[in-house]
Amino acid sequence: MSKKPKPFGQVLRERRVERGYTLRKFAELMELSPTYLSQVEQGNVDPPTAERVHKMADLLGASADEWTALAGRVPEDLPGIIQKEPTAMPELLREASGLTAEQLRALREKARQMKAQGKPGAEGGDV
Amino acid sequence: MKSSVPFLREDVIESEAEMLLAEYGREHEAIVCPPVPIDEIIELYLKLEFEIRDLRALFGLGDVHGAIWFRERRIAVDTQLDPGQFPAKRGRYHFTLAHEAGHWRLHRKHFTVPEGQKDLFDGEPKPSYICRTTEKKVPVEWQADCFAACLLMPYKLVRSAWEEWRGGLEPIILSEMPDRRQRLQAELLRRGGGKSGPEGEGDMVLENAVRPFADLFQVSAEAMRIRLEKFGLVARKKEASLFD
Repeated sequence: MSKKPKPFGQVLRERRVERGYTLRKFAELMELSPTYLSQVEQGNVDPPTAERVHKMADLLGASADEWTALAGRVPEDLPGIIQKEPTAMPELLREASGLTAEQLRALREKARQMKAQGKPGAEGGDV
Repeated sequence: MKSSVPFLREDVIESEAEMLLAEYGREHEAIVCPPVPIDEIIELYLKLEFEIRDLRALFGLGDVHGAIWFRERRIAVDTQLDPGQFPAKRGRYHFTLAHEAGHWRLHRKHFTVPEGQKDLFDGEPKPSYICRTTEKKVPVEWQADCFAACLLMPYKLVRSAWEEWRGGLEPIILSEMPDRRQRLQAELLRRGGGKSGPEGEGDMVLENAVRPFADLFQVSAEAMRIRLEKFGLVARKKEASLFD
């Protein structure tokens, strides 16, 4: 069984210090108040928006998707992707749910190939 | 909580603060000009967990500035001192951080948690020290204040910055200031009131004069005035000498 993940605030604080940013410096970079950032780190308020979490991860060299999930947020591009295929996309996600990381990687690779083949001009399709 | 802190002479406290600055300099960057990077010393060198939180609500006390939890390696500063929201409190914020660093360096080895001590509430342990502004200064608090002043305004750094600021080591002498009245009025306006009595007025005039210098160190004018008086760089009257 997998270990319970650390709370978002704790991961953020550890990474921030590891990267050599003080609370005040990082708050300044993020254009947030130090009090708010500290509250996020303590887990006393809801994690920031997906957009902010993305920026935090970028500044600290972390995976934006991983941090977004940890923060309990949905990456900002996902709602649009689902809305474009409102039936097929949720079905695909449900089917894929439960696959191992390796299987997901293979599935992703397959999807990438299919997209490349489907693109106009990708396989000698130039006319 | 239980604490039996021995008496510490001021020069011993000063040496301890200088040692911390030197250690920080070796591991990170030597401090050659003000301000002393106290946030970095706390979080990146001492590796203390740092929080800004509503300590007044947490402890039910109206005058709390900071607190420290030795076992958890954690310090906290009250939200009222957040320098992002209240830039005028920046000096007090720095002093509080340095004060907590003082507890960490001077007092943690003397501190023991009594058996059976209960948490404040669910999972919230009692702090080792709660630092308040209005309570009478007990020795541990005085020592931590002294450490904070030595850490944020170390003698060598103050002396060299003063020399650069004033173009020499000449002190500012209150009795020789021609514009004392105007400075006092300016300071009273800035504060919206002030200390009374000749001593209090003198403090305010001197603090008004050294405020730009205090800003270089990002400390309050009051903290800087006290430190400079100790170094003889500000004085009430000119010292009498054989040649007067």
